[in-house]
Amino acid sequence: MTQSVQDRTRLESLYALALRAYPTRFRQAYGASMRQAFRDAFSDTSLSRRTLIRLVFRDLVTSLIKEHLAMLLDTFARPALLFNAVILSALASGLALALYSIPQQVLRQGANDPQIALAGDLAAKLEQGVAPTAAVPAASVDMARSLTPFVIVYDDRGHPLASQAQLDGQIPVPPQGAFDYVRQHGEERVSWQPILGSVRGVRIAAVIERVNGPQPGFVLAGRNMREVESREQQVSKMAGLTWIGMIGVILLGTAAFGWYTRPKTA
Amino acid sequence: MAAETAPATPLSPAVFAILLSLARGEKHGYQIMKDVRAPEGGGVQMGPGTLYGSLDRMMRDGLVEETGLTDDERRRYYRLTARGDSDLIAELRRLAAAVAGARSLGLLPHGGRS
Repeated sequence: MTQSVQDRTRLESLYALALRAYPTRFRQAYGASMRQAFRDAFSDTSLSRRTLIRLVFRDLVTSLIKEHLAMLLDTFARPALLFNAVILSALASGLALALYSIPQQVLRQGANDPQIALAGDLAAKLEQGVAPTAAVPAASVDMARSLTPFVIVYDDRGHPLASQAQLDGQIPVPPQGAFDYVRQHGEERVSWQPILGSVRGVRIAAVIERVNGPQPGFVLAGRNMREVESREQQVSKMAGLTWIGMIGVILLGTAAFGWYTRPKTA
Repeated sequence: MAAETAPATPLSPAVFAILLSLARGEKHGYQIMKDVRAPEGGGVQMGPGTLYGSLDRMMRDGLVEETGLTDDERRRYYRLTARGDSDLIAELRRLAAAVAGARSLGLLPHGGRS
C-alpha cells in the first residue's frame, strides 16, 4: 500500500469518525455522500492536502454547530409544542399566583380581627359619653416593637385626644384623607405606615371608626404587621418555589415530548 | 405551493452558488463543491457538511431535488426545480441591477468585468 493510499485511508477514517458527531437524521441521510465527497476531494489534484484539511476542519466545526441548531429547532420549535408549553406555563403561573394571593389576603384580612372589635367597642363607649382618657387603657404600647393591639382616639379634626401607643415618643396621626373617608363611610381598614422622626418601615394594620354623638371624632385600633408580613413572605417563597417547580416540569416534559415526537423524515 | 411563492431573495452566498452550479445541469456533491469554489461559480469555500446541510434545506424549500440517478451508491445527483430556477433568475436580476448601479456611480468600469 503506497503512502498516499495510507494517508487517504487514515484521513477518511478520521472523517468517518467525525461524522458521528452530526445529528443522527442528518448522518443517516448524508453521511455516505459526505464521505464520498471527501474521497472525491482527496483525489482532486487541483486541491492541496493542506487546503483540503483546513477546509474540511472548518466545515466540520461550522456545519456541526449549524446542523445541531437546526435539529434543536426541528425538535423543539414546533408551533404545536411551543403553544402547549405556553398554555401550560400560563396555567402554572395563574395557579402559583392564586397560591400566593389567596393565603396572602386571608392573612392580611385576619390581621384586622382584634382591631375591628376594639375599635367598635371603644367607639360605642365614647358615644355613651365616656371620656377618651378614661376609655383608653393605660398600658403603653411601643408601636415599633410590640405586637399588642392598641387604640388611639382623635377629635373631629384629627388631633389626638388619648392614646395607648406611641412611636418614637409621639402619637402618630393618619393622613387627613383617611379621616375624610371615614366621615363618609363610617369605617376604614388600611395598612398604615406612620412616619415620625427617624422611625421608618413600621407598618400597622389599622381599623379607623367614626365616633358620633355630642363629641364626634375617630377611633383607631392598630397592630404591628411584622409577624403577618413575615408569614406573607413565607407564602410568597412557597408559591415562588411551586411556580419554579411547575415551570421546570413543563420544560422537561416539553423537551421529552419534543424529543420522542421529533420529525424523523430525511 | 412552493412554485407560487415570491422569490426568497437575497439568497445566501452558499444557496446562490449551489443554484448557479446546478443551473449548468445535474451534479453530484463534489462537482457542486468544485463549481462553487471557482470565482465564476461564486467563490464560496464549501465543505461536505455545509454543502449537504444547504442541499437538505434547499430541498425542503423546494429549490432543488434529487434526480434519483446515481453512478455509485454514495453519489447522489441534484437538479434545480422550477422554483429554484426562478429564485436564481430573480437573484441574478437583483445582482445585475446592483452592478448597473455601481457602474453608474463609477465604482465599476462600463462594460468591464467585475
